[in-house]
Amino acid sequence: MKNSFFIFLIFSSIIFSQEKNYLVSENLFSPSNIKIFADFLFDQKDYLRAADEYERYLSFVPNDTIEFKIALTYSLMNNFNEAAKKFNVISKNSSFYKPAKIEFLKSIFQTGDIAEFRYKYSEGKVNKSYLDSSGMTSLYMYSFLLTGEPLPYEDEFIINFPASERQKIKNFYEWGKDPPYNSQLKAAIFSAVIPGLGKIYTNEYWDGIFAFIATLGTGYLSYDNFKAGHNLRGWIFGSLTVGFYGGNIYGSATAVQIFNAHIRFNFINDLKSYLEDKNYFLKIFN
Amino acid sequence: MKSNYSIFWINLSFQFLFSLSITAQTDWVKWGKADYPYHINSPVQQRDYSFDMRNPGRFVIKSLANAYWFFISDVDGDNCSFSPTCSYFFIQSVEETNIFQGSLMFFDRFTRDMDIIGKPDHYPRVPDGHLYDPPSLYILDSNSINYISPSVVVKNE
Repeated sequence: MKNSFFIFLIFSSIIFSQEKNYLVSENLFSPSNIKIFADFLFDQKDYLRAADEYERYLSFVPNDTIEFKIALTYSLMNNFNEAAKKFNVISKNSSFYKPAKIEFLKSIFQTGDIAEFRYKYSEGKVNKSYLDSSGMTSLYMYSFLLTGEPLPYEDEFIINFPASERQKIKNFYEWGKDPPYNSQLKAAIFSAVIPGLGKIYTNEYWDGIFAFIATLGTGYLSYDNFKAGHNLRGWIFGSLTVGFYGGNIYGSATAVQIFNAHIRFNFINDLKSYLEDKNYFLKIFN
Repeated sequence: MKSNYSIFWINLSFQFLFSLSITAQTDWVKWGKADYPYHINSPVQQRDYSFDMRNPGRFVIKSLANAYWFFISDVDGDNCSFSPTCSYFFIQSVEETNIFQGSLMFFDRFTRDMDIIGKPDHYPRVPDGHLYDPPSLYILDSNSINYISPSVVVKNE
């Protein structure tokens, strides 16, 4: 039993032993191995390390595919400024030149610098027909919705989008043209008539109720003190009533501004998430 | 030969003990009172009680705020749920606008502070848990409004 165990152990050790020659001859840090490792990291979504490994590979072998991939890693890490720089340096002779220019514009758009995006788009380093077929014109038009500027005519605007998306875009357009904002004047008048009503108009229900209680409560205390002959207290509570009343009218106007900012904030979020769903109306690179 | 060997060890031991005794902590250092600042910085300690002499209006407002802090707020503790607190909000409002508009902003803030039901879910918070509500949102300038979702923790006030 003992002998057979030792024989088995020795036999299996020999069978599974590593070849020494294999270890010596294979250079783990050869450019091809670096690329394999970088691709593996990219697949694992470890983009930061993948970018480093691709850069290392690039120091051995100039390769436009790798340059494009490095730029893509930065884009996938949401480092859009760096991605734009990397996409922009891809040579004109490269087969990736046009896709890189499209991704370059997209990265600038993603940085949030819409003015720069429009300037670069209009600069037209790549011919416009190529940009049109890539969907960049849709993105250009879409940028008007995000900035809140005056929109172009509806027909001119919507025609730039794919037919399947036009109904949704039309809804956005109508929102952008006539946002459902509340009126500051209305809120102030409401609060002047009934304290707190302007706040309720902006969906601040509890603020409105507490403003009503504060104004009427101090008003009653003022009236009661004057009635009882406590004039000083009457004046103190009277002053507070005026303060609460005026403050509530003013506060209703400011609440409308915040309410409108909230509505716009939600609209921009909807626009952004829709844009991401549609991959910015651009072709997908695999 | 043997004596040289002993002298060597005695010398070494002496040097070792000497260096130990030189660098050792005294009991006074070891067990004495340490002056480490264990207290937490509270808003009360960061308050600026100076008087604002730029104009009579500001002097009156700042003096009222100083008196309120000294006699009421500091004694009462850190109880305002907002950041900046209502008294700071008042001072900042007057500084950013004028005494009339600043007072209206303060009364509005005071009313909103009373709202114990809707308030907690309505404002973003700062890291210490206070509700973030700066005067810049209420100066009737739509460009100064930077809407922040209540789910966000505001790190850079």
